[in-house]
Amino acid sequence: MEIEDIIQKLWSGVRKKHLYPQLPLPTVIEGGEDVALEIKSKQLAISSAFYEKLKGKMDGEEIVEAVLDHGITHYMYCPWDFHTHITLYNEAKKVVRQKDQAQRATSYFMDVVTDTYCVKEKDTKIATLYKNLPKTGVHEVLAALYEKIWGEDLGTGGHEELVNRLSRIPYLERKRWRESIRKFTEVIQGILEKEVANEQQSSQREPNPMGEHSLENYSLEEIDRGLREFASAVEELQEFKETVEDLKEELEGKGYSAGGMGRGKGNAIDANLLYYMKLAESYTLPIRKLPIEKRGYLHPHAHKPWEIGKPFADIDLWTSFGKIIPGITQIWTKREGETHGEFEGTPDCLIIIDSSGSMINPREKLSYAVLGAICACNAYLKHESRAAVYNFSDALRGNKVVLEFNHDKERIYQAICRYFGGGTALDPDDITYLLSCAKKPDIFIITDMQITNLEKLIDFFKKIENRVTAVHLGTNVHTARFKEGTEKRKNISLFNVKNKEDIPKIVLGKVKEYLTSPSEGR
Amino acid sequence: MKNGYFQTRIRGIYKYISENLYLNRPDISIKDESFNSTLLFGLLTGLNRGKELIIGEPGLGKTTSAEYVGSILYRYPLGVIWGSEVSGHPEQTEEKIIGRPHLGELNKGKEKVVWSNFAQIPVKIVDEINRLPETKQSMILNGVDRGNWEYLNEILINDEYSLFATANYQDRGTNTIIAPLIDRFDILIESRHPGSNIAYTIGKEALSHNPLRHPQYEKELQQILRGENPYEEKMALAEGVCDLFGEYIKETLGIEGLTKEERRTINEERMALDYDVDANAFVRMALAELSFCHKFGQKRSVEVCEDGCHYTGYLCHHIKNCASNRLPMSIRNYAQTLAWFLEDDGVDLEHIRLVIPYVLAHRIQWKDSYLSKKEGEGRNDPFQIYLVKEATEEIFQRYSEQREYLLEAFSVGYRAFAGEAITPLEGDHPIYEEIKKDIGAKDEKSL
Amino acid sequence: MKNPFEAFHQAGARKREIPLDKILKSKEETLSKILAGYEDLLKNEAKDLVWLMQYSTVIKAYSIAEKGMEGLEYTAEDIEEFCFALDHSDQIPYLITGPAGVYISVLCNHAKEEEICLHLQDLNVKINLLGYRLPANKKLIVEGNVGDFTGIGLDGGELIIEGSGKNYTGAGMKRGKIVIRHNLGFNTGHGMTGGELIVGGRIKGLGKIVGGKVYERDQLIFPTDGIKPFYT
Repeated sequence: MEIEDIIQKLWSGVRKKHLYPQLPLPTVIEGGEDVALEIKSKQLAISSAFYEKLKGKMDGEEIVEAVLDHGITHYMYCPWDFHTHITLYNEAKKVVRQKDQAQRATSYFMDVVTDTYCVKEKDTKIATLYKNLPKTGVHEVLAALYEKIWGEDLGTGGHEELVNRLSRIPYLERKRWRESIRKFTEVIQGILEKEVANEQQSSQREPNPMGEHSLENYSLEEIDRGLREFASAVEELQEFKETVEDLKEELEGKGYSAGGMGRGKGNAIDANLLYYMKLAESYTLPIRKLPIEKRGYLHPHAHKPWEIGKPFADIDLWTSFGKIIPGITQIWTKREGETHGEFEGTPDCLIIIDSSGSMINPREKLSYAVLGAICACNAYLKHESRAAVYNFSDALRGNKVVLEFNHDKERIYQAICRYFGGGTALDPDDITYLLSCAKKPDIFIITDMQITNLEKLIDFFKKIENRVTAVHLGTNVHTARFKEGTEKRKNISLFNVKNKEDIPKIVLGKVKEYLTSPSEGR
Repeated sequence: MKNGYFQTRIRGIYKYISENLYLNRPDISIKDESFNSTLLFGLLTGLNRGKELIIGEPGLGKTTSAEYVGSILYRYPLGVIWGSEVSGHPEQTEEKIIGRPHLGELNKGKEKVVWSNFAQIPVKIVDEINRLPETKQSMILNGVDRGNWEYLNEILINDEYSLFATANYQDRGTNTIIAPLIDRFDILIESRHPGSNIAYTIGKEALSHNPLRHPQYEKELQQILRGENPYEEKMALAEGVCDLFGEYIKETLGIEGLTKEERRTINEERMALDYDVDANAFVRMALAELSFCHKFGQKRSVEVCEDGCHYTGYLCHHIKNCASNRLPMSIRNYAQTLAWFLEDDGVDLEHIRLVIPYVLAHRIQWKDSYLSKKEGEGRNDPFQIYLVKEATEEIFQRYSEQREYLLEAFSVGYRAFAGEAITPLEGDHPIYEEIKKDIGAKDEKSL
Repeated sequence: MKNPFEAFHQAGARKREIPLDKILKSKEETLSKILAGYEDLLKNEAKDLVWLMQYSTVIKAYSIAEKGMEGLEYTAEDIEEFCFALDHSDQIPYLITGPAGVYISVLCNHAKEEEICLHLQDLNVKINLLGYRLPANKKLIVEGNVGDFTGIGLDGGELIIEGSGKNYTGAGMKRGKIVIRHNLGFNTGHGMTGGELIVGGRIKGLGKIVGGKVYERDQLIFPTDGIKPFYT
């Protein structure tokens, strides 16, 4: 088939031009008349119908090369990865406040960046391709923009005011893409609204002739990594939440769930949970390596020359060749062998987290207390231990979550993220019950210490031998009382956190200490 | 480089081994061809006199892949190779690895060395090298690095050799490979499980006899190696037997090994292949990230990089140690050999990008924080190799973004170094600072 | 010693310039000049980073700003870039909203375009003194919220704020029209002698108005029976 032959002929040259992208040989799809290119999981596919349509106006090889240039540059330059894609979408959404419009704005912006980069940096026929493509709506404006910024005649014009503003955007400065897409979206907002309205009326969508940009382009691993980077980069929890909620359908359709990838449709994605999960992945502890330990017996280690006066028992007759002569005779030096040992059991972990009214609601704002708790859980779960959660507000009135020890990450996160926002009282019986379910688990308690029955808590901690790390925010009479009450207990560490951003690091520091020196009696 | 005569033969060897002896799946691709990494890099090691460390689970063909490659490329019957292998265990001695005094001569009061087969033959295999205690590992450093073997007052120098060492993953009874030794290995490769379907086939079609064995030639070679001739004469005699064995495998198996002369010619051909501009620039960029430290002048494993440094976005922030000078040599050797094998006119970026992860994986010490972030990620490679593949792609992204500017910076660097009064280009990447250092310009960025 | 960059001798980049490069370069140059003018204004007027909002200081700042941008060629988009740079860029060490507002007003008043639209929704800071002395042939549309003293001394132009303002909006305006889509603060229209001030939302409080008209939510609230012109 003609296109396939052309692809075969051009592919190595095009790859070389774009510095050898790790993409398989593009294929051809039948039909797909209005769309030049499809990209699914890094597989480029050129539409034969599109090719046939344009063949009369352009050389066949030029069509294929231009389309490949476009597709490869999306992969190699913009957006490059899923994180960049959703960051751009997030910025566009801040302007238009509507998912559909934001997706289109993102798509058009990425096309402008990609094609401009190609035209400037590579030898490409993209301009000729655009000259021969139909131009309506936004594409007409973009074609006029290309005329101005590329200096090519594309047979269009007009839209001077819009084009003037669009032409001032630094498309090729990656560091300014966030600001640039906002400006871009502002300028084309009116046209986007019209486009969406027209499509709603005609119930037919005008496809982007150069192909759409959807989550189909990315693998689950890329999506997972992109979400992690996005969670670390956003300023507000709400931004992450909004973006994930927008993309929920597509993510679930791809089989991505909060519990992990590759588990089919699974549970619906909870954006809040996903946020803390991804953020916690930036605060991790390495898995404990096998300890080097002594084996307890001596073994021959190396030779050294025998000297008169040294014992005969350790002479190595073979290496001495049967001779007892200084300079020839060698003796063994023995050493206690070292080898990789085995892991001792890692204790389980009980998280006690305060979700009273004085603590931040983790579903509205980033709660470092919740993040710290999740980091601790992750560290223990990674070492194949279990975690339990006691989330309390006014526990005596039932505002509590008592989750027993288990390995289920999603359940644990949900328990930690639960927010009551009521009074502050815990029930020591609940803690006693949980402690009885495991063998001397470590305890992490994160609170602002404004607990109405604090004395009960202090008495409780005085009686237990478990390792306890208490992290509290701010200093008040209650924290002083807690400190005083537990000062003499060597198994209790108390941390007063001034910057709440330090909570995860403090928690992890303590976890690391615990895991490298397991407690006695295990 | 379109002759392709030797390349065709090497491809024939690859095909034969992959279809008959070392059954496995392709796991890498380059220039639209797919290969099994263990076999491909094993061949490249044999061709460029490299040193390869093969890791993997027990029983997945680490040693056998090296034996087959060594046997066919160097035309030594398998029995000789088996007899020359050094196995890693704590009771190994210098006398078993390198050589021993001739006992008869010793009794007469003369010192004469009987060299081990391992020291003599050009195919050197150390099985389970991480079971050797560290003192024993130190003993073989010089030999592994340069092919120089010393015992008593005699020295044996191999004029050509390839070294394959295998190592299981950490378990009871293994040690770490000491840093100087591990740096001397050119590449790290994993010998992987072939998948259940191919594994079944291996079990079903196990050969009753090994086609690379020849008892008669093995005996002759053992006699030559045991003999009292000088090393050079022994090798010349051995080459004669290897020629016969080469004829034998050509007749029976349809594959041709390489004579010493042919191996030398191939080496010359591949050394003539040069880097293109992109490959050159990319390697420099990678080396900059692996050796640069703005605060301390260079990376050192005893100096910790802190948060807050301007360069935290680069690899230098995630690693503890500095890249050694063996790294660019290994990259060059393997990239050239790969380009030669593929009959390309020169070394390009694609060769470099394929080779770097395997060349770097064992040499790099990552920070714990970076390891813990990455270890949960899904992957198809062992963690060490996966990390470097990811890192290579990161560097590649940076390179492709600033390629034009970087090439211009090098061009300006050339002119400045030649004496022209020209200001070096500024840039964020460590490579720009390195260029300035080379031309003697002052670094004005504050610490 | 051998030149380590030998291989790159011929590798000087083939620089392909497209019109976008020229547009961006020209934009940067213009922005630099505008910023330089602003910095001069600060040097002269806000020596200790303190600027007092007084009748005389505003007039003086205006004339210094006018001198500073003599001969400068710029467009409405450049003014918008400057506003963005005020808030986001490291290039401007100090943002003092009073002189900034005067400076922007000068830029708007002397721009070639008769109609200027400034998209300031993304700014974190609310700029004071926008629309100062806007002349008769000018229309200034500001998208976003603004600070104090908006449209003071309006001199015939039309000022539309697609957002809210703060205090002393329209103070001393002589003629022209100010339209505020949402709310205003206290002392609205203080000292205005003519023109129209139309507010779509609520006005917290009027100032001492001499003349002109003020509308709140389509209702004329000055002059009415309840509120008379203020005569000193």
